[in-house]
Amino acid sequence: MNGAIFAAAANEETLSRIAGFVLVGYLLVLIVLGVVGWMRSRATEEDFYLAGRGQGFLVTVMTIMATFFSSAAILGIPGNVYKDGVAFVLFAMNLPVAGVCIYLVGSRIRRIGRRRGYVTQGDMISDYYGDSFGMRGLVALIGFLYVLPYVVMQIKAGGYLAQGLFPEAGGIRLFGRDLGMFELGATALSIVTMVYVLIGGMRSVAWTDVLQGCLLLGGMLLAAVATIVTLGGPSGYFSKVSELPPEAMSLPGPSGTWTPWKLMTVCLFASVGSLVQPGQWIRLYAARDDRTLKRSSLVFAIVLPSCFLFGIMLVALAGRAIYPPEVTRDGIFPHPHVGEFDQIVIVMIKEQLPALLGTAGLILVSLILVAVLAASMSTADSNLHALSAVFTRDLYDRFLRPRSSQRERAWVSRVVIVLATLLALGLVTGGHRNEDFAPLRMIADLMFAAIAFSCQLLPATFDMLFFRKGTKAGVMSGMVAGILVVFLFTPLPAVLLGDSSVVDSLADATGLLKSLFDIGFCAVVVNVIVFVAVSRFTRPLEKQDRDAFARDISPHRSE
Amino acid sequence: MEEPEKTSSVSKRRMAWILGTLFAIAIVMGPGPGIYLVNPDPYESVARLILGMPVVYVWTAFWFLCQAVVVVLAYRKLWKEDE
Repeated sequence: MNGAIFAAAANEETLSRIAGFVLVGYLLVLIVLGVVGWMRSRATEEDFYLAGRGQGFLVTVMTIMATFFSSAAILGIPGNVYKDGVAFVLFAMNLPVAGVCIYLVGSRIRRIGRRRGYVTQGDMISDYYGDSFGMRGLVALIGFLYVLPYVVMQIKAGGYLAQGLFPEAGGIRLFGRDLGMFELGATALSIVTMVYVLIGGMRSVAWTDVLQGCLLLGGMLLAAVATIVTLGGPSGYFSKVSELPPEAMSLPGPSGTWTPWKLMTVCLFASVGSLVQPGQWIRLYAARDDRTLKRSSLVFAIVLPSCFLFGIMLVALAGRAIYPPEVTRDGIFPHPHVGEFDQIVIVMIKEQLPALLGTAGLILVSLILVAVLAASMSTADSNLHALSAVFTRDLYDRFLRPRSSQRERAWVSRVVIVLATLLALGLVTGGHRNEDFAPLRMIADLMFAAIAFSCQLLPATFDMLFFRKGTKAGVMSGMVAGILVVFLFTPLPAVLLGDSSVVDSLADATGLLKSLFDIGFCAVVVNVIVFVAVSRFTRPLEKQDRDAFARDISPHRSE
Repeated sequence: MEEPEKTSSVSKRRMAWILGTLFAIAIVMGPGPGIYLVNPDPYESVARLILGMPVVYVWTAFWFLCQAVVVVLAYRKLWKEDE
């Protein structure tokens, strides 16, 4: 018994050492890529934000996938599979929908973006519906409401990873505060990401995304292969999974959350909502041509779902069989050995691989854990970069200091990146110290709230690209209504109004809707109703402007 | 000369409808209400399996493969590039 304990402790120590080397090497490569990106860049805004609109297929597909894949992909989504069993596996079917939209929606956005010189979402929406502070401010607000929770999620994942990798390491005392491994990991991830976004702009972000994308795709598949091998091959694996209780093998899952209607609306809206977020929109503008997006669309629609269905989700299913969560009347709680739902992949690969493969297993574990880090950083960098574009181009340049120089705007965008990083880091460390800080409790919950905000751009996007019937008043009132509806689903009403019967009734109503449908879907329904109704009674846009917009979207026009 | 182009355009439109419908069916059957056709009773004493795998997992993989075939066909036959 003592021998086993000593062996485990020695493994833990060796893992920490190997992982430390791999991590440092990885972070150095990122910084080098950041510097090379900076050296290759030209001192223009278009280059900083869009890498000169010349990104080829490999960079485009990897940066779109890496941005789409966040810590949620390797921690949050497996965390949900661990909690709710096979029911959540169906979530992978949102990815082909997103893949198809890269071509159907993305190529239109790219064409008109190139022809009219757009950089942000606000540029396109304001150009079509009419520019104003209100319009750009609303689009920027939606971008901010998406980006902040997403960056928070990624930083939080950095903390989890550090905790998992260096469990025995003590913290340090800095500026009179004790920082544990969680806080140190979160801070390290934030600072490295911030540095290479600051120095290299879009070019560095995209290049690092290629490396990070390869790592995380490989990591997701490798983790599954390793788990299956550890359990004695496919038959051993499925024999273990067949031990799952029946409620974990069916819908709506043990927590009762995943009804088919909810899953279907999540698959439709989470996918497209994630594609119209500020970071992805900028990537669509940055693509070199339609062929690039067409090929990216195909690869995305097939490779990503495969990595989920035949990759990381299998690890979580096995985790559920090996470390079954405790189901009580008060809810579902992770197995004590796992600690938190989101940690299941880390626990699985750390426990299972070294036991089977020895030192080779430890190296594999390090690589997979670096893939988790890559997933987090690739999304955090894209979102920070997009947020700086939105604030600088849509607000500062247009309304706060219209005569500012390019140099001044470049510095403002860097300040935005620093402030957003610090704000997100503050929320993560604050949430970690205060366990009652409910909004930051589980990564996947944050993901769905963020996507619900982003979904509020869908009615305007589809109207501009396909229908061209809406008006400026219609689109603005629809967005406001949609944002308010999403807020109703968050803890914000309870924070603002305290305990009251109104809040209780609201919680009952939103709880019922949330159990039936995706939050983003509910808010988009309200958004569309308001959009259509207000557009019906307000002055339509000039026909020649709509026709000119349609011509610039069409592929049958030379660039 | 115009006639074959018109025919090709009509057949492409028909194909777009067919592929779009198949894709929509895959969504309704996969994560949508179609899952009720195979979803096991959560209170069954023994979980339902196909070839040793959970039936919901096999169902998901099947509809994903259908979507993948639709996307490949659309990529090869329908999606245009800028001219």
